[in-house]
Amino acid sequence: MSIIANTDSKVVIMGGVAGVNAAKRMAEFCYLCDLDFNVTSFVYPPDAGKSAEIPFGSQFLSVPIYKTLKEATDNHPETNTCLIYIGANRAFAGAMEALDNNSVKFVSMITEGLPEKDAKLLIQHSKKVGKLVNGPSAIGILSAGECRLGVIGGEYNNLKLSKLSRQGSFGVLTKSGGLSNEIMWLVSQFADGITTTIGIGGDTYPCTDFVTFLELFEKDTQTKAVIIVGEMGGDLEEQAAEWYSAKPRRIKLIAVVSGFCQETLPKGMKFGHAGAKEGERGEGSARSKTEILAKAGVMAPPTFGDLGDTIKTVYEDLKSTGQIKEVEEIHPSDLPDLPRKVEEVITAGDVMVQPLIKTTITDDRGEEPLYCGYRASELINKGYEIPHIMGLLWNKRLVSDKEADMMRRIIMLAADHGPCVSGAFATIMAACAGIGMPQAVAAGLIMIGPRFGGAVTDAGKYFKYGLVNYPNDIPGFLAHMKKNFGPVPGIGHRVKSLKNPDKRVKELIKATIELDLRTPHLDYALEVEKVTTAKKDNLILNVDGCMACILTDLGFPNETLNGFFVMARTIGMIGHWCDQKREGGRLIRLFNYLVNFAVPRPRDVPDKK
Amino acid sequence: MAKVLEGPGMELFNKWGIRTPRHVVISSTDQIESLVQSNQWMRECKMVVKAHEAIGSRMKLGLVKVDLDVTEAIETAQEFMGREVHGLSISQVIIAEMLSHDEEFYLAVKSTREGAEILMAKFGGIEVESNWDKVSHTFVPVGGKPADDQLEKCAKEAGFTGELVEKMRKFASRLYECYDNEDGLYMEINPLIINPNDGKLCALDAVVMLDGDSRFRHPDWSFSFAPEFGRAYTENEKQIMEIDSRVKGSVKLIEIPGGQVAMLPAGGGASVFYSDAVIAKDGTLANYAEYSGDPPAWAVEALTDKICSLPDIKHIIVGGAIANFTDVKATFTGIIAGFRKAKEEGQLKGVKIWVRRGGPNEAVGLEYMRKLKDEGFDIHVYDRYTPLTDIVKYALEGEDK
Repeated sequence: MSIIANTDSKVVIMGGVAGVNAAKRMAEFCYLCDLDFNVTSFVYPPDAGKSAEIPFGSQFLSVPIYKTLKEATDNHPETNTCLIYIGANRAFAGAMEALDNNSVKFVSMITEGLPEKDAKLLIQHSKKVGKLVNGPSAIGILSAGECRLGVIGGEYNNLKLSKLSRQGSFGVLTKSGGLSNEIMWLVSQFADGITTTIGIGGDTYPCTDFVTFLELFEKDTQTKAVIIVGEMGGDLEEQAAEWYSAKPRRIKLIAVVSGFCQETLPKGMKFGHAGAKEGERGEGSARSKTEILAKAGVMAPPTFGDLGDTIKTVYEDLKSTGQIKEVEEIHPSDLPDLPRKVEEVITAGDVMVQPLIKTTITDDRGEEPLYCGYRASELINKGYEIPHIMGLLWNKRLVSDKEADMMRRIIMLAADHGPCVSGAFATIMAACAGIGMPQAVAAGLIMIGPRFGGAVTDAGKYFKYGLVNYPNDIPGFLAHMKKNFGPVPGIGHRVKSLKNPDKRVKELIKATIELDLRTPHLDYALEVEKVTTAKKDNLILNVDGCMACILTDLGFPNETLNGFFVMARTIGMIGHWCDQKREGGRLIRLFNYLVNFAVPRPRDVPDKK
Repeated sequence: MAKVLEGPGMELFNKWGIRTPRHVVISSTDQIESLVQSNQWMRECKMVVKAHEAIGSRMKLGLVKVDLDVTEAIETAQEFMGREVHGLSISQVIIAEMLSHDEEFYLAVKSTREGAEILMAKFGGIEVESNWDKVSHTFVPVGGKPADDQLEKCAKEAGFTGELVEKMRKFASRLYECYDNEDGLYMEINPLIINPNDGKLCALDAVVMLDGDSRFRHPDWSFSFAPEFGRAYTENEKQIMEIDSRVKGSVKLIEIPGGQVAMLPAGGGASVFYSDAVIAKDGTLANYAEYSGDPPAWAVEALTDKICSLPDIKHIIVGGAIANFTDVKATFTGIIAGFRKAKEEGQLKGVKIWVRRGGPNEAVGLEYMRKLKDEGFDIHVYDRYTPLTDIVKYALEGEDK
């Protein structure tokens, strides 16, 4: 047995993330106690029409989200309880809607910072419609083995430790949410556990007072004693004392009140919950409340530290008079465990999983990325630059400063080559069609291939082949190429020639000399050029070929070489996209005169067969 | 409950048609000359000058001066401004028209669980306290309004006669309007007087307590709330309040000079029981603090910084009940970072740290705390099997008792 929350409670939760989190905790409790999940629906307009995914054991339950409470209760007419998890500015309207809803019989509000006037209006309206509102600032309600409303009870293991999967004999009423768990834990250690625990909230005017719940506990025969955790301020504890002494009560009452420290604090200094404030004339102090409670026959220990012993005394007393029978304990190992998450099981070494992919270059599982084991921040702080990162990520090697300088020059020279080349033009065309940056730049990158910019990899590959197989036989190499592959990649230019040399190639060659780099591949390519230009003036070593040889000389493997062009040219393409965006480039359409319409003349379409 | 100083309190009164003496609030002495130029009354009337700060017993402290002409008023304002009182530097002064009067009355509206109580008395000032039984009361349910005959009856019961009954009715209904529309919790006018210049009732003082939680629906509240301690907030308190206002959950700090036991407990309820436990063992509190609602670790770290820097502390109580959803590991990470920083800066010498906590990830959180011992902290860590406030007993009486 229990009060307010039981196996018949069917719940609608008003609220977003916080509400869903509460539902998850509630599902854990249902799983522990082998109960059906008790949340029927959510009300949260921003997500209306979607559903929330709630883990239940190893399953995932899907709970619908509605725009209004009426829709929720129309679709789930069994709903009788409403939990409010929305902000202080909307909680009042939500609670009023709940009070006016025919299905909802009980409302509990966790919202903190509800204006006092709103709480007072809720008290007034709840009395008018004959329903109870618990809260605001209320952590929730938990009936052992039967029902959990809200996050009260904490994490799964605590539910087990505090014996919340089965009924005990003690009711608990607290203003403080955090202490509700503490009391349940105490009662599980010093007595036989709880029937129902209710956090009523620490505001000045909790919508439902101690006495209302005490009346319910008095009628619940399973509950043999009730523990109240009170605070200074207000008069709910005094009312409870008055209720207790008004006539003989079946339940034993224990109460502890916080706020004795106020007596010794500098005048006017107050703290704790919103409702914890003394009256102007000393009424409502912790001492006065404790005295009034004790006078009414309530067991009222002077400090929280004495509470455990008081609970034990009451429990032993009730046991000796036969009112409480000792229950057979369920061993925690006989209660279900929550299924562990895959990560936990792997960490514990209980299962082995075949990885889906493998990486040998980066790891960002820690506080910051590791590049081949080096912390990014340390690389920065020690003065390393982008070429060093490229060396690490592309070739797993920390390049020397000279090498980095060479790479930097290559990227700078290859960053852009005007708007007319395939890549930049594709990006510009996409930009002018209103396409976003990543897609427009990708359009440009798609152009990189055998005829545009993509010769670097092949050039590197064949000059390396030549150097290995025909080191002193350039004509032999050229003959081999002609027979098997065609023109040598990296040799030849549409415009440039011996007389009109490519300035970029000159620059790169000059740099290798300045930096004193060893360049066997470049040297070989220049020997090749001597032979090819003798045949035809424009068969020079072009910029692709030159880059390819230098990078191969730097030790970059073949598959990385095109990366330098992709990397460099991305800089230019981003520039072209931004340029068009800023300048408002118009949609590009080819003029008819730029197309040779070599098409058949108009003719009749044959009938379809 | 949020206290509003006299100046903005009077502005609220004026908004709802409640007359107050003409007044100006200055926050710099440079303003006075131009205010005198633009306010004719300042050149013609006698004036009252008061420190405009949340300091109790201003009269006794000499922070109220009356019957001043314009030169004296300027001098007094300049003298008050910047004066140090209780470690607080006076930053505002209110200069009001001085109204001579023969009689003083009392009027207040006070929030109760069911609605509000309107209180009237035909005497004012300090006489109210000693004649509390002669104050007449009338009740207005929440959502309602006081009826005309109800207020008249209350005024008559308080001893008002003749046209004063009608005047009190009107004045009280305006104060109720102000209370009701501005989310008031307590509003008091003492003394309420008859303005000799026009024969109308006038609120000579304004005690205004508003519901700070309702701020979201009062965009015109341009004032900030005053501390209710009878002292200003300290710099540390202000910094924590600022953090509190923008994080999920809450962090709270009140400093109490001279105490030896620093408090760093979790939860609005448990924190007070911890404070009680310190007092019960004849300890002295160095502060009140509390964090709850699963605040981010950095906010708890900031709170820890402040607590470690409290002067002459002997113990730090990192207490807490078994949390519902506050992550023990995450919040402890913040506390530990704060401790390490304090130690590096040479704080925490000879300070014993006492920990007791439960809740989500309690095992890992407590283990992190235990490991601080290896770093040379004098730290004592307990789990849920030690009753909530026993660490206070261990701190003040020794661990073996």
